[in-house]
Amino acid sequence: MSDNSNPTPEERFRKVFVHLWAVSAYARRRGSFDPDAIAAETMAIAWRRLADVPPCDPLPWLYATARNLLLAERRRAGRVARLREPDESVPAPELQELDPQLARALRALSPRDREALLLIAWEDLSPSQAARALGINPTAFRVRLLRARRRLRASLAAEDDAPRSASRPVHVDVEGR
Amino acid sequence: MSSDYAFRRLRGANPVQVTTLVNAEDLFDRITTAPPDPRLGRLPHRRPRRGLVLVVALVVIGALASTAPAISNWIGGLIGRSEVTSEYTHAQSRLTLPPGSAWPNLYFGSNSVSSQGAGGSFAVMFAIGAWECYWVGAISEGDIAAGRRAHAALADLVANHVVVAPRGAAENWTPPRAAGTPTAVFADDGGYERKERMYAEAAAGRPQMLEQSCRANG
Repeated sequence: MSDNSNPTPEERFRKVFVHLWAVSAYARRRGSFDPDAIAAETMAIAWRRLADVPPCDPLPWLYATARNLLLAERRRAGRVARLREPDESVPAPELQELDPQLARALRALSPRDREALLLIAWEDLSPSQAARALGINPTAFRVRLLRARRRLRASLAAEDDAPRSASRPVHVDVEGR
Repeated sequence: MSSDYAFRRLRGANPVQVTTLVNAEDLFDRITTAPPDPRLGRLPHRRPRRGLVLVVALVVIGALASTAPAISNWIGGLIGRSEVTSEYTHAQSRLTLPPGSAWPNLYFGSNSVSSQGAGGSFAVMFAIGAWECYWVGAISEGDIAAGRRAHAALADLVANHVVVAPRGAAENWTPPRAAGTPTAVFADDGGYERKERMYAEAAAGRPQMLEQSCRANG
């Protein structure tokens, strides 16, 4: 046991580890083949590099680490080229299907705009947290988010005007910073 | 369609709302059996170590300040009270004071240091002051011979026991001959030339500068 001013590494890590479920959910939403493994590896890295993890707000750091692991997972699987061709993408086993219209609108965004949007909409981060997760400054993030929201709206509006296509599974990839 | 509506629609379409992980505590235990970040162990020591360094530095500074004469030999060129007194005594045998004057006792703190030649410099400056005042007295009394003797003594002092430090030299600059010859060092600020002009003026019957110097230094 230690006082609050000088916690043990285990006590400090406990405050990071409580976000395990959030990291796993993030990996699922981004289409990981094994989101629990991504979350576990993220936590193991956090333990090894605990001095780098902001103790007050570790979530952006954890998402940034998880995103790197997701990209590595996809490189290992040799699927990077196919992931960039949406029609050939294969959904992760646990990824639920999105509304196809929304999915197409998301695909129409650049990976950077899409990630900015999803960190706010799905991971429920604040703009400053999301900026840290992407390693950019908050002002740049707000500009990117505004642009992404406008493009999403435009894409959905275009979808409403276009004939509906057949429903198909959706994969939301992780790319860009 | 508004941007807010599109965003709400996206937020509502979150494909993974809740995730549950089994054996999270097992995972925690497995992870924490590995060594933690080694940098964490150093963090608590940073502040005390910095404080310790500060305390040690203060102690060392205090010790050095109180034993300045003792360390003068390490630095070189610095001398303590005994050396300064010795130089002063030696200078008295090389310099001449006007009639009626006597060498004063030199007070030099036991824990003080000075540059090499300081004792000789004190003697030279005292001799200059004494001769200047002697000359002022001779002029006021109309003692021409005494005045000439004072002028000659001051000319000798300025010529052979005063040097001008090089321009930009350090304040403790020491002339090479200081060890053997009592020597005063003037800064390169016109003081030496002022002395020469002062003596020339006095010799020409205009002792105002000399009188002023006597009042200030004699």
